Amino acid sequence: MSDPIPPTPTDDDALPKGAEMLTGHNYDGIQEYDNPTPAWWTWIFIGSVVFAVVYLFFVLSAGDELSPHGQFRRASIANTEKKFGELGDLEPDAATIIAYMDNEQWMAFAGNVFKTNCIACHGANGEGGTGPNLTDDAYIHVASIEDIAAVIRDGAANGAMPPHETRLHPNEIVLVASYVAAMRGQNRPGNPPKGEDIPPWETP
Amino acid sequence: MSQAAIPTDPPPQADASASHLDSFSYDDAICRMFMSAMFIWGLVAFLVGMILAIQLPFPYIPGTDIPTNFNLEWFTFGRLRPLHTNAAIFAFAGNAIFAGVYYSTQRLCKTRMWSDLFSRLHFWGWQLVIVAAAVTLPAGITQSKEYAELEWPVDLLIAVVWLGFFGVNFLMTLLNRRERHMYVALWFYIATIVTVTVLHVFNNLVIPVFGPGLVKSYPVYAGVQDAFMQWWYGHNAVAFFLTTPFLGMMYYFLPKAAERPVFSYRLSIVHFWSLVFIYIWAGPHHLQYTALPDWAASLGMVFSLMLWMPSWGGMINFLLTLRGAWQKVASDPILKFFVVAITFYGMATFEGPMLSIKSVNALSHYTDWTIAHVHAGALGWNGFLAFGMMYFLLPRLFQAKLFSPKLANLHFWLATVGILLYIIPIYVAGITQGLMWRAMTETGQLAYPDFVETVIAIKPMWMLRILGGGCYMAGALIGGVNLYKTWAARPKTYDVPVIQAAPLSKLEGVPEAKPEPTIDGVADIAKTLNVWATGWWHRKWERLPIRFTVWVVIAVVVASLFEIIPTFLIRSNVPQIESVKPYTALELYGRDIYVAEGCYNCHSQMIRPILAEVERYGEYSKPGEFIYDRPFQWGSRRIGPDLARVGLTRPQAFWHAEHFEEPDRIVPGSIMPPYPWLFDKEIDWRSLEKRMRAINLLHGGEAYTEEQLTNAEAHAREQAERIAAQIETDGGRGGLSEKQVVALIAYLQRMGTDLNAPPEAPAEEPALDDATASLHTTPAEGGE
Repeated sequence: MSDPIPPTPTDDDALPKGAEMLTGHNYDGIQEYDNPTPAWWTWIFIGSVVFAVVYLFFVLSAGDELSPHGQFRRASIANTEKKFGELGDLEPDAATIIAYMDNEQWMAFAGNVFKTNCIACHGANGEGGTGPNLTDDAYIHVASIEDIAAVIRDGAANGAMPPHETRLHPNEIVLVASYVAAMRGQNRPGNPPKGEDIPPWETP
Repeated sequence: MSQAAIPTDPPPQADASASHLDSFSYDDAICRMFMSAMFIWGLVAFLVGMILAIQLPFPYIPGTDIPTNFNLEWFTFGRLRPLHTNAAIFAFAGNAIFAGVYYSTQRLCKTRMWSDLFSRLHFWGWQLVIVAAAVTLPAGITQSKEYAELEWPVDLLIAVVWLGFFGVNFLMTLLNRRERHMYVALWFYIATIVTVTVLHVFNNLVIPVFGPGLVKSYPVYAGVQDAFMQWWYGHNAVAFFLTTPFLGMMYYFLPKAAERPVFSYRLSIVHFWSLVFIYIWAGPHHLQYTALPDWAASLGMVFSLMLWMPSWGGMINFLLTLRGAWQKVASDPILKFFVVAITFYGMATFEGPMLSIKSVNALSHYTDWTIAHVHAGALGWNGFLAFGMMYFLLPRLFQAKLFSPKLANLHFWLATVGILLYIIPIYVAGITQGLMWRAMTETGQLAYPDFVETVIAIKPMWMLRILGGGCYMAGALIGGVNLYKTWAARPKTYDVPVIQAAPLSKLEGVPEAKPEPTIDGVADIAKTLNVWATGWWHRKWERLPIRFTVWVVIAVVVASLFEIIPTFLIRSNVPQIESVKPYTALELYGRDIYVAEGCYNCHSQMIRPILAEVERYGEYSKPGEFIYDRPFQWGSRRIGPDLARVGLTRPQAFWHAEHFEEPDRIVPGSIMPPYPWLFDKEIDWRSLEKRMRAINLLHGGEAYTEEQLTNAEAHAREQAERIAAQIETDGGRGGLSEKQVVALIAYLQRMGTDLNAPPEAPAEEPALDDATASLHTTPAEGGE
């Protein structure tokens, strides 16, 4: 530093290094040492700049491979495989829906889908809320068991029941239809029956 | 500093060689005013924080059906939370900044503030801003951009007070100084004043809507760009309002209190410039995994990482300044407060870069982790520095012995225990909830599909936080006793010491000379670098305040433009989605209610491309979905679930009507407060056209047709009656067609539905290919 006042060594014996120099600056009594920046500080700083350049180059040139969207798409495909790899494609017909009603493993799976998507309006156990009770024998938009899948897929009641075609996997629609069909007859206390009483599900 | 006597700082030594000396005195009265305001507003901020902390785990007074918002709109979380953040930042920290800046600048410049009148205009203008905030925010008058909630009239006042009074007064003081060089504290103050001005102006560019009883505006930016500008602002408000001025203050008050020289002048230079230049870029890290383009998010991340050492430069300089003074730290409450402040600064500025890393952010974002982080910063760094400074200033400003060093120590320990009791449970809450949101079962499904489960799990942590906040506030109250008692012991008239110093023009000085390189036998470039590294050129800048200020402006503006220009100009950042259409009159009005009620304080509108998130909420959000969103409502914390696709998952008007009336009746365990006033307050039909015309102006007349504008009220009434009828048919209340709740429901029913909306019936030639393409926007095609 070229300064009006030449740097002077400090006389403070509490300092680790006797060679520490003051800059000679004095502001309202505040002085400053002329110490260099700590080496570890300097090198981590330089390292972070180097990392930044390298990281940006790799991430931006890798494109989809490292982008959040690319990672999501691969995770999504893998997860669908994990869910339904052994199941194949289910048909939304009466036979399939009835066949899965007694399948403990897949009804647990459907219960999770129900909890994620249905309980807000139909209640935690299907007893109804702002939507109808699913545990009695009265139905509004369902005449036979495969109608349940259709209502889930396409919605009903002028959109009060939303369509789930884009929201759920086709298999999930079939399995939740089984799950809902199996609720019938539990007659849980909740909303009073609404709609028409329909004949029991036909067993194939 | 010894507590035994009133400290008297030695008056600056007069330069014997100067022939003429000026006589002047410092304006300490203004410092007393700002310090008292800091304390009072600090208590207000803490108190509102306590109310919010209680409202979260206790939506109802336990054992009763009395909601803790008492069915009052202005006492509801969504409206009070902005009051808390604004009070903490602009009222508490703001007044602390001004107290510290006015005290230290006069002494570092050896001059009185340039204008006593400007100092007073600044003080009273700023208090007026705070009072305006305290009135407008609970009234629901808000821009809804975090820490920039205040509406345009208050924004104009802020601009005048900040730049016109504070900025001019400060810069004129610099020009009138009697100290040749500017100390590092002043560099940080310069950076604060110019950058906050730039941030404030460009984030608050709006088109006002005028009408009877209407204080409302729409930002000139929409959707992705609005989000980008907001977090450029939001992040740098932390940088240039809560960091740089406080660093400057620490550079003054710490060496004064410790009576030790600052560790390294060169470190000051390097960390100052690197901090100022790098901070500006880091804003997009608030938007990782959102619809912000990838390149911007990646830039935000790497600049945050590069910011780690520049931030720590300050911490190291402070901690190493304390070498040889640690025995003092054990006995002096001022230094104790400062050491804890520095520690929290170091912790928060390590955590910040860490949270910006994409994979960490994927977990932390929208959780309480962010809340813990900001409280470590605000209570730990800003709060402890402010209170340490208060104890330094009390005896000096009131010219009386500090009433009780023992109570100051008690304040310190209560604050320390309080902050730990606050942040540790909230870190646990954040990480717990983040992990629960993303947890998947062996069958590839959500482990906690019901959102409420993840709220109930962290409620105990929220209760502990009340205890922590209570301790911190109790400490502050004890500080208040010390403040009051010291003030009460002040002399009848304050002693105003006359200071003598030579005017700058008369100061003898040797111009900085370029030193010779100290290395030999190397390439010229190495020699040049060697000379440059001595920092001699910087010493020259330090006596040129205007040039220094210009360089700071260049640093922040250039860095900003590097990000802002591409964000606005590159069309592929926001790919157009044909099916996304402007909101109807009623939906727009409902959206404005959503903004006014502060729904964004608890609900995000941004589904990230993350597996668990798409499972829970639906298809992830696309940039093109937000082009009519003024302001954007992506949110930053999910106290309740995301709402980006609520129009698809909760289309039933009846559901919403029931839910607004008593949320936990419809969603057992919900902590959302009831909103009964939505069923009483009427829609302001006459304002609809004005609102739409403002939006239309911002979209170059493309958003609405003249028919839609002139018949806005008729169209809106039609939609409102339809929704009211749906509610009644499903078994809900009748007669709601004039009420605000219907408009809000209209907006919620619309939200997130445009993406896969069927194309309108083609008027002439159907553009079949485009229409089918937009119908089948799958995740695979929905990327950049």
